[in-house]
Amino acid sequence: MRKLLSYLKPYRVKIALATLLMAVSAVCDLLLPTLMADVLDRGVYGAAEGDTFSYIVQTSGWMLTVSLVSLVSVISGFWVVYHVVSGYVCDLRSALFAKVHTMTLTEVGKVGTSNLVTRLTHDVDTLNWVISSLCGGILIIPLMFLGSVFLCMRKDVGLSLVILGAVPLLIGAGLLLSGKIERLWEISDEFCDKQNDLVRERLRGIRVIRAFDREGYAHQRITEATNTMADNIIRANLQMEIIDPVAVFVLNVTALLIVYLGGVRLERGSGLSAGDVFAIIQYIGIIMGAILSVSYDIVMLPHVRVAVRRLKQITESAGLEDDRPAEGLKLRGDIDLEHAGFTYPDGSLPALSDVDMHIKAGQWVSVIGGTGSGKSTLAQLLLAFRQPTEGKLCFDGRDASTISPKDIRTNVSCALQKSMLYAGTIAENLRMGKPEASDEELWQALEDAQAADFVKEKPEGLNFRLEQGATNISGGQKQRLAIARAILKDAPIYIFDDSFSALDFITEARVRRSLNERLAGKTRIVITQRVVSAMHSQNIFVLADGALVGSGTHGQLLESCPIYREIFLSQTGGEIA
Amino acid sequence: MSKKEKNRLFDETGRRLLKELRPLRYRILLAAVICLLLIGCAVAGPTLLGNLINRLYGWKDNPDLIRSMIPELLILFGVYALEGLLSYGKWYLLQITVSRYFCAGMRIRISDKLRRLPISYMDKTPAGDIIERMMEDVGNMADSIFDIVSILLSGFLQIIVIAITLLLTDWRLAIPVILLAPLSVLLSTRMATLGQERWDRHYSLSGELTSLAEEAFTNYPATKAFNREDVLQKKYEELSARHQNNGCLANFLSSIVQPVIACVDSLAYIVVSVVGGWLILNRGVAIGTVVTVILFARHLSDPLERVAYGLGFVQQIKSAAKRVFDLLDLPEEQDAEGVAEAPVRGKVEFRHVDFSYDPTRPLIRDLNTVIRPGQKIAIVGPTGAGKTTIVNLLMRFYDIRSGQILIDGRDVSEMSRAEVRRLFAMVLQDTWLFRGTVAENVAYGSPEATRQDIIEACDHAYCDHFIRRLPQGYDTTISEDSTAVSAGQKQLLTIARALLADRPLLILDEATSNVDTRTELLIQKAMDHLMGGRTCFVIAHRLSTIVDADLILVIRDGQIVEQGTHESLLEKKGFYYELFRSQYMI
Repeated sequence: MRKLLSYLKPYRVKIALATLLMAVSAVCDLLLPTLMADVLDRGVYGAAEGDTFSYIVQTSGWMLTVSLVSLVSVISGFWVVYHVVSGYVCDLRSALFAKVHTMTLTEVGKVGTSNLVTRLTHDVDTLNWVISSLCGGILIIPLMFLGSVFLCMRKDVGLSLVILGAVPLLIGAGLLLSGKIERLWEISDEFCDKQNDLVRERLRGIRVIRAFDREGYAHQRITEATNTMADNIIRANLQMEIIDPVAVFVLNVTALLIVYLGGVRLERGSGLSAGDVFAIIQYIGIIMGAILSVSYDIVMLPHVRVAVRRLKQITESAGLEDDRPAEGLKLRGDIDLEHAGFTYPDGSLPALSDVDMHIKAGQWVSVIGGTGSGKSTLAQLLLAFRQPTEGKLCFDGRDASTISPKDIRTNVSCALQKSMLYAGTIAENLRMGKPEASDEELWQALEDAQAADFVKEKPEGLNFRLEQGATNISGGQKQRLAIARAILKDAPIYIFDDSFSALDFITEARVRRSLNERLAGKTRIVITQRVVSAMHSQNIFVLADGALVGSGTHGQLLESCPIYREIFLSQTGGEIA
Repeated sequence: MSKKEKNRLFDETGRRLLKELRPLRYRILLAAVICLLLIGCAVAGPTLLGNLINRLYGWKDNPDLIRSMIPELLILFGVYALEGLLSYGKWYLLQITVSRYFCAGMRIRISDKLRRLPISYMDKTPAGDIIERMMEDVGNMADSIFDIVSILLSGFLQIIVIAITLLLTDWRLAIPVILLAPLSVLLSTRMATLGQERWDRHYSLSGELTSLAEEAFTNYPATKAFNREDVLQKKYEELSARHQNNGCLANFLSSIVQPVIACVDSLAYIVVSVVGGWLILNRGVAIGTVVTVILFARHLSDPLERVAYGLGFVQQIKSAAKRVFDLLDLPEEQDAEGVAEAPVRGKVEFRHVDFSYDPTRPLIRDLNTVIRPGQKIAIVGPTGAGKTTIVNLLMRFYDIRSGQILIDGRDVSEMSRAEVRRLFAMVLQDTWLFRGTVAENVAYGSPEATRQDIIEACDHAYCDHFIRRLPQGYDTTISEDSTAVSAGQKQLLTIARALLADRPLLILDEATSNVDTRTELLIQKAMDHLMGGRTCFVIAHRLSTIVDADLILVIRDGQIVEQGTHESLLEKKGFYYELFRSQYMI
């Protein structure tokens, strides 16, 4: 929490100013009922007796002044508060965002993408709310509360005690409910989610449902879920809403008691005036308002605690990447894995073990294996996202752990398994690896990746805007853009991690041919599960269950490696050899 | 939207909304009665309290003050208690009416509508859009009932009652109050509208900011691989700053509404005091009258505010209602009367079939072919070429534009859709499991199957062994995203489902990606088993299937460009030849 609050430091003068302005407005609000009572007591009620009209006018003048001062100070107070809050939140978001990019892939994977997004949105919003109520209201509420009680006491101690008696009653009721409210909210959310899932499931399976003529059943399931959801939400809502009438009732009855006891005291002649009773009733409103907003804050407290704890996961994250500055290294392109292995930190079986792999600069090699064979882990080692937990990885004979990850990534270009394109134009996406590339270069890369045709078809051409996740182009088109992006970047080493899987065989063959020309002399590593993608390369490494079970050319492996043969047979039916 | 349109409350959507509410009219009427009683309480409360305070001012003249106050105090207590009970009762009534009958009813109607919407609509509408209409828009509509009854009705009535009471009490005092109250409303609604615009902008920026973060973290490896952290950081900071500046203004505008109203209220108080004092002095008006007016004045701006808020809200509600009505009014799929016929042997004939999704881009033109019972038809072509179009036509997910498809000589357009679909079993690459037990999922196409039948089908589809290892065996609950079964096992389950359904015709999508070699072999064996003796349409990826198919349809860019057997197509040296060559040769 302290760390999160430290971002508030630059704003401390503004916060003080805001608090001051709010306090001024609070004092004004406190003065109003007293002035009103005076108008009634000495003005209106005194009016019958003599010339008090000028008193009314004078006091009204004061009221007007006080009202305006209150208005002006509260408005300027809010102005300052929201500037502080927005500044703070901006700083916090930027810091968190930057922090995420210093975390290791393992750490990012541990927290999870969607959780990281929630941290930056929902949890920061919660803090946003806390800070605005801290600066804008919470500090003022005790002032209002104590001030009201004090002013009441000044009027009449006995009557004030009645108010103070009602306070625990309200707080008790509030606490009783606030414990439950969270659970009730959860119930509502839970049922909404359930229903959403059901509808989504049905829409996704529409073809299967219709094929088996089960629309009736699908409808019935949703009907049942809808009814259950309605019943549960009603129950939750009815319980939540009880606090409102109860609070109003307690407030009203307190006012009644004040009138009654006020009457009693008036009769006894305790120096209390009818105007005082009126003023005290007004103060009850202020006090209750304060209590209600505090109890609302209390309800939110658990949320705040959760948000802070989750934000800590980022701010106090220990899994940070090696941030050594780049030294501008230029690699030749030799890659050697010496008895390299990798075990995920959760301690399960090694994803890779004892892998010996030697790739010479300029070679075209393939790594083939099924799901869970460890080939994606291999790609992550080569991109310095993870470090081998045993053995070592060398670039040009130099241990990778002695090179800054930035340097490695400058020297390695890659097309990744999930194409990972960004919202923005095609040109922007392509230029990621080579910001200075000319349009001609872009077109050439697209041509080589067999992507030029579909880009040309777009009226905007290179300026065609991709949506987030590139949902406005097909899977094959995404892969081709990712390939174009990878080959546009100048690097001695190119990695293609399962990046031909959505291409049909003709297109893939064409890409393969143009890469042969374009990347001649560069190290090319193709990671794939498709035997056709691998069979033509100069050397093929076969991975199975994290171990290297064979290497050689297609012909050699068919002879020597049973697993390779099995893969080959299952994918081609063995009709060709 | 123009100003003029905004003000028209009862346009078509408004009228439709009222019509939808007709079945609820007695409940709404009851709510209205409760509202009236609540207004009575709202008037009686301040009047009685004003009287009591008046008495306190006159305590010197009344020696028996306390005792004389007691009945009124008790009545007031009763009024307060009634007010509490009634307001909760109103909430209760609206809850059971709105959530229970209206919301749930509307959602069930939409669900029912979904049964009859053509697949073409589902294909071009994102699921999120339909879900939003069903959940959020209906929820918003439900709020409208709450608003119409609670806010508008009670608000309007309260304003009228209070205004009349004020005028009856003393019109000279009432006039300034009645004039000032709208001022506060005018100011507050104006600011609220300004704020609303900011909020709308704020929400859309929030969405953008979330998307950006989502994208950045999803693409984390790509960002790092291309050393692009700084570029992204800058982009994020810029957007975040815009987002917060907007939020700052939005927050500010909405938070000053309340103080402004409070200030205008004080102003009303001041005016009444001054005018009242003058009236008491110069016109002999009773002191109690002035006190009553003061107490009422404080109650007038409250309903006004609510009415203004409610009116602003109605517009939002109507746009939600419109989206829901649009969905409910969509044209439904027309269906022929189905007549049960003799068992089908599986002869399929395409006669001059024309089809396209988009009339300007014809896809299939004059397709003619005859498939004899038990034959195997392979559909091949590059990814994304439209191989599923044939599936869409056979299953009548889409209707052909002209020509005929005949099964055993019967035109499918003369059969009901359900009847046509009952002839087919389908195994798609995109496996679909619903939340339910394994057994329920396997028996999806044949609900009357016994446990023995299910186990047998699973055994033939090579699922039995892994199902038995699940925590509750066949009664284990699985779903689309359940991790208990792997992608390959899901595929096996859908094969078991098709086996159990035992239909004369079969549609099969062979593609198996992300499946380990061992499971893939099992899937192939299970599929071969499934194909035995049935007329099969196979979206083929395996050479063995293609080579021994009785007919190969070669699809390119959605069109059938070649058809024939493997040998005849190879001889032709056309597109198929190139496709085959690139797949299996250099």
